[in-house]
Amino acid sequence: MSFETDVSRIEEIAQKLNASDTSLEESLALFEEGMLLSKKLEKTLSEAKSRVEIVLGDEKESAEITPF
Amino acid sequence: MQNDSLLSGTELTVTELTTLIKRTLEEGFYGLRVSGEISNFRPASSGHWFFTLKDSTSSLSAIMFKSSAWRVTFKPQEGDKVVVTGSLDVYAARGTYQLKCDTMEKSGTGDILALLEKRKREYDEMGYFAPERKKSIPIKPKRVGVVTSATGAALQDILQILSRRAPSLDILILPATVQGNTAAQTIANRIRQANLLLLCDVLIVGRGGGSLEDLLPFSEDVVIRAIYESEIPVISAVGHEIDWALSDFVADLRAPTPSAAAELVSQGILDLRQKVESLSLAIHKGMQHRLQLLEHRIPSTEAMQRSMAHLLEKREYLLANASHSMSQAYKEKLEKSSQRVLLATRELQALSPLAILARGYTLVFDSQGKALHNREEAKVGEHIKLTFIDGSRKALIEE
Repeated sequence: MSFETDVSRIEEIAQKLNASDTSLEESLALFEEGMLLSKKLEKTLSEAKSRVEIVLGDEKESAEITPF
Repeated sequence: MQNDSLLSGTELTVTELTTLIKRTLEEGFYGLRVSGEISNFRPASSGHWFFTLKDSTSSLSAIMFKSSAWRVTFKPQEGDKVVVTGSLDVYAARGTYQLKCDTMEKSGTGDILALLEKRKREYDEMGYFAPERKKSIPIKPKRVGVVTSATGAALQDILQILSRRAPSLDILILPATVQGNTAAQTIANRIRQANLLLLCDVLIVGRGGGSLEDLLPFSEDVVIRAIYESEIPVISAVGHEIDWALSDFVADLRAPTPSAAAELVSQGILDLRQKVESLSLAIHKGMQHRLQLLEHRIPSTEAMQRSMAHLLEKREYLLANASHSMSQAYKEKLEKSSQRVLLATRELQALSPLAILARGYTLVFDSQGKALHNREEAKVGEHIKLTFIDGSRKALIEE
């Protein structure tokens, strides 16, 4: 699933949780799903996994990319 | 000697004369444009600048107040040839005069600015700056390219801000020379290289602050064209807030500083982080609300225990009642039955043949054991059995 569909799914879940016609069983399942998704997204966005690299070589076409 | 001065012979106090001089100089010398060389430059901690402006034969005290000094795009150095604008100012307490400067630029700056303005107009007319050509900056980029000096403070600022605000964002540094004769070409090459290899989805092109000349490479034709032709959206981030370069106009977005460019690039990710956070909070709240509602619907355990106990008591009472009446009924039935047994036994005893025998009667059976009731059944010559109360005897019928 893409980031955007994940986000809109969480929004949908939040909405359903606030709706009174959702049963308890359903609510619990939704809650669990929502928390998992939000943890996943949070991790994707905040986890320091970024790579900082530098391009070596002046030639336009040839480039060597190495960690900075 | 004839003196035709207006004031000849008039006695003046020092203040009166100084006031006259002050008025004459300040009202007569304003809107000045003075060129000279900076000497004895003394920036005060208050932010005001004190210095001397001189040429080969004369010198002039000068002051630039903080309110004007912050606008100057370079840090004046000893020997800098500058052009200042301003007015004369008399300091009465010391009887000195000085040039109060409003603006300062390096000599020749006017020419450079004119050149830049002309170039800007040309590119504007060619449609290089048209708003409809601007590409939007991706909200959630995966990799951001940075064309700048690998050793400059600008790069450090960008890296620091990105790692704080968008730690998941990959960064690709495309090192370029950012000042001097070769700068424009290396900047342009890096922009084209990024495009050729599609190395990133947004590109920051910039450098930290510097003099107007230092920033010139970002206004060169090669750089303007490279940015114009870039398929990757470009953010121009040259110098400080007040600096500008033509790259600012042709780029898809202008950032006032390299740090601001880093903030712009990471804003979308930061927003998303906050959105996810608030959504997860909303889910928590929703669930809590839901549980609270349910809790209200469940009667308290105490009340439940009470009603349960009540129910049990009632049943127990019923059970006790029922078992009592059952045993009662059983007893009655038992008594009735035993009475009947007694009665029946008596009846039976009354009817018993033994009772008749006891009264002296005798039963007669033939040899087969069949009871004989009348004379006919008792044939002459047959053996019969006579049963008395205390036993029996065999007999022979003779006639």
